[in-house]
Amino acid sequence: MSESKEVQRRGFLGLVTWAVGVLIGAGIGIPAIAYIVGPALKDEGTQEWIPVGTTSKVELGTPTLFKANIERTTGWIVNQEEVSAYVLTEDGRNFIAMSNICTHLGCRVRWIAEQQSFFCPCHNGVFDKEGNVVSGPPPKPLDRFDVKVEDDQLFLKEA
Amino acid sequence: MTTRVSDWLDQRLGWRAVWSALFLRKMPKTNWLYTLGSATLFVAINQIVTGILLTIYYVPSPDQAYDSVQYITTQVTAGWLIRGLHHWGASAMVVLTVLHMLRVIVLGSYKYPREVTWFTGIALLLIVIGFGFTGYLLPWDQKAYWATTVGTRIAEVTPLVGNWILRIMRGGQELSAVTLARFFGAHVWFLPATLLALLGLHLFLIVRNGISEVPTREEE
Repeated sequence: MSESKEVQRRGFLGLVTWAVGVLIGAGIGIPAIAYIVGPALKDEGTQEWIPVGTTSKVELGTPTLFKANIERTTGWIVNQEEVSAYVLTEDGRNFIAMSNICTHLGCRVRWIAEQQSFFCPCHNGVFDKEGNVVSGPPPKPLDRFDVKVEDDQLFLKEA
Repeated sequence: MTTRVSDWLDQRLGWRAVWSALFLRKMPKTNWLYTLGSATLFVAINQIVTGILLTIYYVPSPDQAYDSVQYITTQVTAGWLIRGLHHWGASAMVVLTVLHMLRVIVLGSYKYPREVTWFTGIALLLIVIGFGFTGYLLPWDQKAYWATTVGTRIAEVTPLVGNWILRIMRGGQELSAVTLARFFGAHVWFLPATLLALLGLHLFLIVRNGISEVPTREEE
C-alpha cells in the first residue's frame, strides 16, 4: 500500500520537474527566437521625400541619372547612403523615376543611348526606356520611385 | 513505439546507465542548503545562453560598444530581457557561488574524499569573479570605464610586479580599445573554456563521490 503511494509521489514529482523545465525552456526559448529574428522583420526604408535637383536637368525623352545622399540607420549605425534613380519625362510635366538596381540579382543597370535600353552588366539583363524587361533573366520591371515636383524641384520617395 | 526507439538508442548509446548514474544516484537525506550548487549551475547555464545571444549584436570596439548595447536594450525585440537576465544573472552567480562555498565550509563537505572537488570549486569561484570583472567593462559606459580604471589600478598595487600586471590587463599603460578587445576575448573565450573544463571535472567528482551527509552531533 505505502509502496504504491511512494511510486505515485515519485511519478508526480518527476512530471512536475519536467513541466517546470519545459516552462523555463519556453520562457527563454521564445524570447530568444524573437530576439534573433526581430531586426530582420524591421522595415528600414526611408519614408521621406528626397530632393534630387531641378526638373530642368531631365532631358526630354532620355532617362537621366539623379543621385542624392540620404541618411539611413542600420542597427546602431547611421550611414550616408547614395540613392540613384533614372528619371524620365516625355513632355516635361509628367515624370517617372526608376531604380537603377537590376531586379535580377541587384547589380546596377546603365542607360545605353545607342540601344535605347538599360543594360545590366552582370547577366545581360536588358530593360526598355520605361524599365520593362526586354531580355535576359530579370523577373520583373525596374522598381519605381514616387515622384513629386514642387517649384521645379524634383522629389523622390521609395515606393 | 517510444519504448522501441528508446530501446534501440539504449543498445547503442547506453544512455539509461548514464541517466541513472546522473539522476537516480543514491542521496543521503539533506536539506535545501544542498541545492545551492545546483542553483549556481542553473544560473551558469542562463549566463551561457543569454551571453551567446548578446554576442549576436554586441561589438567590442570603443566607437560601437556603447551604441550596440543601447541598441540591444532599446531596439531589439526582447533585447532588454536577454540583457537583463545576463546582467542580473551575473550578480546572482557571484552571490550563489559564495553561498555554495560557505555551505561547503560550514557543513564540512570539503573533507576526504572530496578535496579535489573543493579545489576545483575554488578555481571556479576565481573564474566567476573574472567573468564579473571582464564583463563589467563591456557596456563601455562611464561606470564600466572607471570601474576598470580603478580595478586595474588596484592590481597595480601588487609589490614588484604591479605595473607589469596592469599593463598585461590593459594591453598597455592606458585603458584603450586594446583593453576592451582583450576583456571581451577573455569574457567569451578564455574564461568560458576554463569554466567548462573545470565545471566538467567538478560535476564528475560530485557524481563519482556522491554528496556528503549532513554532519550529526552525536558522533562521539
